[in-house]
Amino acid sequence: MRIKFLIFLGLIGSVFAESRVSFNDQILPILSDKCFHCHGPDEKNREADLRLDTFEGAVEGKALVPGRPDKSEMITRIHTDDEDDIMPPEDSSLHLTDKEKALLSLWVKQGAQYEKHWLFNPIKKVTAPKIKNSWANSVVDKFILAKLELEDLVPSEKANKNTLIRRLSLDLTGLPPNPQEVENFINDKSPNAYEKVVDRLLKSDQYAEHMTAWWLDGARYADTDGYQNDRYRYHHVWRDWVIQSFQENQPFDQFVVEQIAGDMIPNATLRQQIATGFGRNHRINSEAGSIPEEWQVEYVADRVDTFGTLFLGLTMGCARCHDHKYDPISQKEYYQLFAYFNNVPEFGTGPNNGNSPPYIKIPESWPNLKPEENKLIVPEPMKWQKPDKKQNAVKRPVPGNKSTLMVMQEMKEARKTYLLDRGLYSEPDKSEVLKPKVPAVLDIVPGKKPTNRLELAKWLVHPKNPAFARVMVNRIWQRYFGTGFVATSENLGTQGERPSHPELLDWMATKFIESGWNMHALHKLIVNSAAYKQSSQMTPEAVQKDPKNRLLARGARYRLHAFAIRDQALAASGLMVNKLYGPSAKPYMPPNIWKAFSNNKYVQDKGDNLYRRSFYTYWRRTIPPPTMMNFNAAEREVCEVKKDRTNTPLQALTLMNNKTFVEAARFLAERMINEGGSTIQSQIIQGYKLTLCREPSANEMSVMLKAYKQFEEEFSKNEKDAEKLLKIGEKPRDKTLKTPTHAAMTMVASALLNLDEMITRE
Amino acid sequence: MNPYEFNLNMTRRNFFNGMGMGIGAAAMSSLMGPNLMAEEKRNKFGGLNELPHFPAKAKRVIYLFQSGGPSQLDTFDYKPNLAKQFGQNVPSSVYPEERKTKMSSGQKSFPTAPSKFKFNQHGKSGQWMTELFPQLGTVADDICIIKSMHTEAINHDPAITFFQTGAQIPGRPSIGSWLSYGLGSENSDLPAFVAMSSRGSAKNGQPLYDRLWGSGFLPAKYQGVKFRNQGAPVLDVYDPPGVSRGMRRNMLDALAKLNNEKFQNSGDSEIQTRISQYELAYRMQMSVPELTDLSKEPKHVIDLYGKDSQKPGTYAYNCIMARRLAERGVRFIQLFHQGWDHHQNAVKQMPAQARDTDRATTALIKDLKARGMFEDTLIVWGGEFGRTVYSQGKLTKDQYGRDHHPSCFSMFLAGGGIKGGMTYGETDDFSVNVAENGVHVHDLHATMLHLLGINHKRLNFKYQGRRFRLTDVFGKIIKPILA
Repeated sequence: MRIKFLIFLGLIGSVFAESRVSFNDQILPILSDKCFHCHGPDEKNREADLRLDTFEGAVEGKALVPGRPDKSEMITRIHTDDEDDIMPPEDSSLHLTDKEKALLSLWVKQGAQYEKHWLFNPIKKVTAPKIKNSWANSVVDKFILAKLELEDLVPSEKANKNTLIRRLSLDLTGLPPNPQEVENFINDKSPNAYEKVVDRLLKSDQYAEHMTAWWLDGARYADTDGYQNDRYRYHHVWRDWVIQSFQENQPFDQFVVEQIAGDMIPNATLRQQIATGFGRNHRINSEAGSIPEEWQVEYVADRVDTFGTLFLGLTMGCARCHDHKYDPISQKEYYQLFAYFNNVPEFGTGPNNGNSPPYIKIPESWPNLKPEENKLIVPEPMKWQKPDKKQNAVKRPVPGNKSTLMVMQEMKEARKTYLLDRGLYSEPDKSEVLKPKVPAVLDIVPGKKPTNRLELAKWLVHPKNPAFARVMVNRIWQRYFGTGFVATSENLGTQGERPSHPELLDWMATKFIESGWNMHALHKLIVNSAAYKQSSQMTPEAVQKDPKNRLLARGARYRLHAFAIRDQALAASGLMVNKLYGPSAKPYMPPNIWKAFSNNKYVQDKGDNLYRRSFYTYWRRTIPPPTMMNFNAAEREVCEVKKDRTNTPLQALTLMNNKTFVEAARFLAERMINEGGSTIQSQIIQGYKLTLCREPSANEMSVMLKAYKQFEEEFSKNEKDAEKLLKIGEKPRDKTLKTPTHAAMTMVASALLNLDEMITRE
Repeated sequence: MNPYEFNLNMTRRNFFNGMGMGIGAAAMSSLMGPNLMAEEKRNKFGGLNELPHFPAKAKRVIYLFQSGGPSQLDTFDYKPNLAKQFGQNVPSSVYPEERKTKMSSGQKSFPTAPSKFKFNQHGKSGQWMTELFPQLGTVADDICIIKSMHTEAINHDPAITFFQTGAQIPGRPSIGSWLSYGLGSENSDLPAFVAMSSRGSAKNGQPLYDRLWGSGFLPAKYQGVKFRNQGAPVLDVYDPPGVSRGMRRNMLDALAKLNNEKFQNSGDSEIQTRISQYELAYRMQMSVPELTDLSKEPKHVIDLYGKDSQKPGTYAYNCIMARRLAERGVRFIQLFHQGWDHHQNAVKQMPAQARDTDRATTALIKDLKARGMFEDTLIVWGGEFGRTVYSQGKLTKDQYGRDHHPSCFSMFLAGGGIKGGMTYGETDDFSVNVAENGVHVHDLHATMLHLLGINHKRLNFKYQGRRFRLTDVFGKIIKPILA
């Protein structure tokens, strides 16, 4: 081995001498993933006193000798056969590939230069590559095409107009276009027909609702407290505020500043104060016997984790118990960030139903505040419940009722923040009171250092903050292409994946900032690009070259979000009730959904509330709506910014048999019969238009016709069965329709709702 | 990929071939860069290829979770000497203030409450058990009692979450999800991981939460399927009223044709997966009713479990169902029985809870033995913490309550790979602390995985850049209890 190794090193010298290894793209991912766990930033748990995350640390103990892989202990140790010496050690279950070993050797040979992780460097001002191809008619496309050409890939042709308007409507509003909108678009031959649709959709209330649904996952919005008995809270006014902000296209920096610290803005308005409900979306524990100090720490930790994941793309929570294993964030820095959020006059034990202090009373005029009402309300000091003997004299604050909203507030005298050993509330290191401070690695923003929550918010959205704009652009990109530039959109730190298009990411981040954080403009940059408009059809060659479509030689094709799947069924069937704002709705749930294993009873709503958009559905954290969960909705227990898309039999059962979808099929069938003309064929065509925004192929028509006839034949024989089917769901059917016909068409409609294409955005 | 990397791939291939190191093209193509990492390899059960790490002693787990925290003092942790100390204050030197919950920490005194129940020895092993578990006594030689369990959380929600996921905070996969991710399923028509719940006779059961059988950051297909207490056991498994099986078949045939046409046009292999998931759903629609049809269970089996076993939603019903699921290859069967949280009236509530469970728990062990399945089924019985030795609320001659107690409590294990007829670990004279051989929750998890052929340090999943394990960075195997 030793001889082989020496030959190997010699060869590296001769074969690769001229190519330069990129530390950030090629070396740091290896070091971070395979070495930093024991030889990284975490000082307390560092092995052999060796750190490989800094040049000085690596060179000091001769682990690395720049230019001399043969003299570098690390290079020897990663190549050895000796079980006792090999790195990473056998029992770590980590393993270096031959390529990784070769890259590390080459990097040392070339001088073992270190660089900062890309996210911690300033956003670069980049210019678009010079591309002559006329396909690339936008700047975004030039970046995409440059990369494709390197890989010898060609972009796909443009998707047809039916596909495009369905894609655009689902992406921007979470709802399909209606047949009239499809027809208008197809008949509009003007050069800006597409842009007109984009503008129409961006101005719609449904756009604002769709963006809100997205924001709620990261902001961990829910209607209950989340622990044990999972008590009720009243927080929808904050959700209304988010909807309104997207309706107004509020500059995104302000949108975020107000949520973090709207209460501290000089002469704050009530609306700005309402925005801070964001900081109170965390779970709250009302369990009898809970220790308030413990839970108060948990709430602050949740704010810190949310701030890290949602705004910085970093796993701050890792530094709660020890220095971060991978990113240069110390445990002390974690608690310095903690200090910004540790100053709310709150109490760890919840009130057991209702809002936890601090809260304010919302004027009855909400959401249409009168100008004179739009002024910050100082929350009343906390009051205590009378100890209840049965409740074992647990000390609890008086809850806020339905007319209140939980908000952020600063205490006059700051609560003292200490480093908590192992993250435990009971183990504060009282030798030092920690003042608010941002992590050094991100502290490249010029000007005064932030000393409180408002200043932190402003620091976050400062154009020189290296993380915020990139994190947000990445997440918006993910909404359109299924995957962000950085696929691990929950972690852009050293352990995250490298961006597929780093220059384009920086260019877009810069554009976003320069536009005044204009969210509409950011959407338009994407949806107006040729890259976005490509057909999602896959060729074997393209799939082989780029199976995950990271380089975008085709449009994205992926299953819709849980909410969109239900909303689409409601929209296509005409059941949907478009009502903005307000408390959550309680649509159909399985019998005894709560009662079966908790101490509460779900009381289903009647009428309109059964058919509102899914993101208004009452969100009980410990028992979230099961049909939504089958389609990978976020749990909303903690901040989540990415979910998998699985493909399971339970999804099939939901779409075939669930009350919501059977009722939707009934009403889709009514529309098909009533709006689709006199023949079965024309009615089936109408069904395709209402659901897939296109007409069926000849083959599709013959399959559906055959199925219809089978259904119709059976229901004619057993009319009672037809009646049973047509009774599912609370809305009564159109009795003028013939029972077997209506039932048979319901089955056809159900088949439409179950098609892969139906639940897929393509 | 940058031009340099491309160059590197090409030249290195020649280079290694020249060296005779025999690295094939397949390995090379995975060098493309971090974005194109290969999917993990899976075996015929859909489990990880590398599993089991070593031969497994148990093929499956039936976890009989006793929710609320059963009292160790009234079940397995026999303290005959406490009788003499009835009513005496448990001094704070023994039980410090900060380890009590806020429900009882404000009490004026902490009177010692010896168990009101008699303890008897059972079997050849002479294991001590409460008189409340007469049936369980008959299998004393088959079970291993651990008296030295301890945990970190003092409230129900974090404690039960800790037991089921290895962490107090939400977002981590449950044990069953880890197992179905690692080992896959032996029955393609049923889920690999099923959870069921029942309510005990005692009132005020602690609630359960979806996260207890959730998949956390693992893909959602590994989450437990919660069998419902009433109606269709699996949500929406039955066709809507009025829709016959024939119609469902016709619809699925049409769907398959249409989806297949879409696949031909779009080339997306996800559509083929979808088609097969619909077929699987159709098969589940048949296998679930077959599973829940108890009519063919012989009378002597029904008698063994007791007549409650005919009633869906009872603990006994879930126990017989657990055996049926085990027979059909389900990997992890999780039961929750609510109602063990006896802050007050423990003397009345304990017998009621015991009556709900004693017979069926024992029947399950006997039934598995009769079918030759006991040897490769791991059975776990226990709650999220224990109870205090002092009375919460007033102590009288006939009544006491007990508050939460995480520092020591009892569980038992039985079946695949477990040494029967033994007691492991000891507590101090007050049953306040572990005296010897403490077993932490992480140790229990490490041991469970070990019995299933898994090295708990090597079953991990990378999420947010970190490799997570069920046992975090802890866990040691409890070797003395292994057969």
